[in-house]
Amino acid sequence: MSDWKELEAKSFYGASARERARGIVDEGTFTELAGPADRMSSPHLPVLGEAVEWDDGCVTGVGLIGKHPVFVISQEGRFIGGAVGEVHGAKMVGAFVLARQMYDRIKEEHPDELAERLPAVVISFETGGVRLHEANAGLLAHAEVMDQIQETKGKFPVISLIGSKVGCFGGMGFVAAATDVIVMSDLGRLGLTGPEVIEQEMGKDEFDSADRSLVYRTTGGKHKYIMRDANYLVEDTLGDFHDQLAAIMEAPYDEIVQCRRIGSEALVDEQLALAELSVEMAPKDARDVWAYFGNEDVEQIPEMTTAEFLAVAQRR
Amino acid sequence: MTTEPKIWNTLERDYRERIEAARPYVMDGKVVEAGDAVKLLEAVIRPGDKVNIEGDNQKQADFLAQCLCEVDTEKVHDLHMVQSVLSIPAHLDVFDKGIAKKVDFSFSGPQAGRLAEYVRDGKIELGAIHTYLELYGRYFVDLTPRVALCVGVSADRNGNIYTGFNTEDTAVIAEAVKFHQGIVIVQVNELVDEVPRVDIPGDWVDFVIQAPRPFYIEPLFTRDPALITDSQILRAMMVIKGIYGEYGIQRLNHGIGFDTAAIELLLPTYGEELGLKGKICSYFVTNPHPTLIPAIESGWVKTMYCFGGEAGMADYVQARPDVFFIGPDGTMRSNRDYAQTAGHYALDMFIGGTLQIDKYGNSSTATASRIAGFGGAPNMGCDAKGRRHATPGWMKCGEEYGMHDELVGDLPRGKRLVVQLQETFREKMAPGFVDKLDAVALAENAGLDLPPVMIYSDDLTHIVTEEGIAYLHKCTSMADRMAAIRAVAGFTEVGMAEDPAETAALRERGIFKTPADLGIDVRRANRDLLAAKSVKDLVNWSGGLYNPPAKFRNW
Repeated sequence: MSDWKELEAKSFYGASARERARGIVDEGTFTELAGPADRMSSPHLPVLGEAVEWDDGCVTGVGLIGKHPVFVISQEGRFIGGAVGEVHGAKMVGAFVLARQMYDRIKEEHPDELAERLPAVVISFETGGVRLHEANAGLLAHAEVMDQIQETKGKFPVISLIGSKVGCFGGMGFVAAATDVIVMSDLGRLGLTGPEVIEQEMGKDEFDSADRSLVYRTTGGKHKYIMRDANYLVEDTLGDFHDQLAAIMEAPYDEIVQCRRIGSEALVDEQLALAELSVEMAPKDARDVWAYFGNEDVEQIPEMTTAEFLAVAQRR
Repeated sequence: MTTEPKIWNTLERDYRERIEAARPYVMDGKVVEAGDAVKLLEAVIRPGDKVNIEGDNQKQADFLAQCLCEVDTEKVHDLHMVQSVLSIPAHLDVFDKGIAKKVDFSFSGPQAGRLAEYVRDGKIELGAIHTYLELYGRYFVDLTPRVALCVGVSADRNGNIYTGFNTEDTAVIAEAVKFHQGIVIVQVNELVDEVPRVDIPGDWVDFVIQAPRPFYIEPLFTRDPALITDSQILRAMMVIKGIYGEYGIQRLNHGIGFDTAAIELLLPTYGEELGLKGKICSYFVTNPHPTLIPAIESGWVKTMYCFGGEAGMADYVQARPDVFFIGPDGTMRSNRDYAQTAGHYALDMFIGGTLQIDKYGNSSTATASRIAGFGGAPNMGCDAKGRRHATPGWMKCGEEYGMHDELVGDLPRGKRLVVQLQETFREKMAPGFVDKLDAVALAENAGLDLPPVMIYSDDLTHIVTEEGIAYLHKCTSMADRMAAIRAVAGFTEVGMAEDPAETAALRERGIFKTPADLGIDVRRANRDLLAAKSVKDLVNWSGGLYNPPAKFRNW
């Protein structure tokens, strides 16, 4: 098996940030920018006596999908749980800035081919949000990334990939929600307050974070797909995420942005109606919600393979 | 000469008095309502009694433990607890409330910090820290409990008990107590007309109580393959090639931990590739680790005897009766004492992890502020001096033993392999190798007669770290041994004292081997080599028979 085929067959869940960055764009097209050789590491961690990484836990670069330049941001959960600090955040912002410059250049140099050369920003999330060691800088980074997402509106898509070990939580959960499209695997987890924090604040009876089955029912890919927080659910390989990205990029921009969860009055109303519904039905478990939206045999949903699930899933 | 006639049945008379006192609470046969449990305990327990609360590192008589905490301290006090573990909060609450004052035990796990604190504050008088076999041995000598609070799955009205596949210690406790006219109380999950199998005969049991909720059981031996690191995989490759393969280890125990889980998941991949199937790892005495499923399914394992069960493994175990020890009723029975005996006499090797190894090769899991105890590791992690049967691995280790001629002369004798897996730096950069064990400071702090050492240096034969393998038993002197330990100790203070020339000489003599010396390509040490990469993969390997508990279900 060639190295590329091996990479594409690799589990997205277990892949490193760098493997993900390479594997979600076309073969051999990924170029890392501000990589470890540039030694951009946190200025704050050494002061606290903590170890640094030369990429600050964030791989950034550019590759191609077809003719589309894809600016990749890939977070590494094995470094402080993928938490976002100053440099990590600045690298995220840098990728957006380059994507905008690329968009302007293509518009000028290839005005007829803008659709097929339309750039994108793809974020492979693996994070719990702000890095507490540098919390102010980390929070600011979140705000800056949000700002950058707004700057892309009407120009090119921002796409989230969620299927890594740490999941996507904390402030970065908000960031993912603000992107145009979310792709998950059933191993992916998406939320705001992480399970451990809920347990700590509300008690074990409210949410037992050690009950991984409960955690997955509440934050996992299948639940998010039923709730339409995730637009696509794919198998857990780099190749499947890559193919899904390619399929999304085939579509015209106006169609892609139909996936958004927020960003218009109508969408805000929809989210508010959902909040009302949750108060009304007071679900005891995600399974109650699945049943409400017309799923049968909700006990079996966690046991299904992705293909089996997609064949029967009833979505909101 | 007139003397009072000697009374020979005081125990029996005392027993009858206590049973009489309990009579108001007995409903039907031997059944007592859960609501009367506290009153029952007050009726049958007397101040100063030796009392056992059954529990091990998995199942717990948690309802009865809770009831004991609620007794009137006017009626019940100064108890001497003689039990294998101090594991749930209630086990120490009885001391806090003044119900008990002395303890003899084996293992304290999660309560280790609190235990050390109570000992220091004089709330607990500490007898001794034992191994399981040692403590149960003393049940038949000088530590027989007067009252045992046991746990089972189901009971009939005559007190016959079914324990399910977590029989573990129940049989030995009930036997020791009942055959010395003591009282046996058992909490069960349900009362039935007929138990599926009689694990404890009804005439060894005085009272059964249906607990309001099923007994607590910890899935202690389950490791999620998703959390296995590349460094653990490298050590596993070294162990398989440099120890299991080298000595042809067929009979072994695997303890708790990610290191041994990595080995288990490498057997069907790396082990197969080395052509070792059928030559190593055919007989296990261990708990039914879910991470052994791929090796079992690939035909590596001939038999597996178990200390206890493991949550979620019952259906799988039951469906593999050639491998596990299954009763006529179709379910497995486990027995910790038999497994420990097998571990001591019938196995060629023990392998496990530890917290600290000192510069001589003594190791311990104690820290200065935690009295953790031993469980069963020292019984398996030692050379069984009474062993008299030969197997190839045991013989080879004996032939290589550097001190053999000094101690035995020219007669052949084997030696068990005792292997410790160690990371040079553990969590929070705690060094795995130290000048002096924390156990020494603990012994001083807690006034112990003996520092709690898990495995002594003279029993330890191999240390495996990411640096390589030290074949300590080949050493001919303590100076040699200490040099070999420095060679595997990496950048710890012990390791920094290494003399490169000395290490080179040890490599010449085959006492220290690096991964390269073993012919292992370090670049291959990554998760791609695991036969299962997640709990879901284990379920798939088992054909859906493994039913992982909620805390391990990543879906």
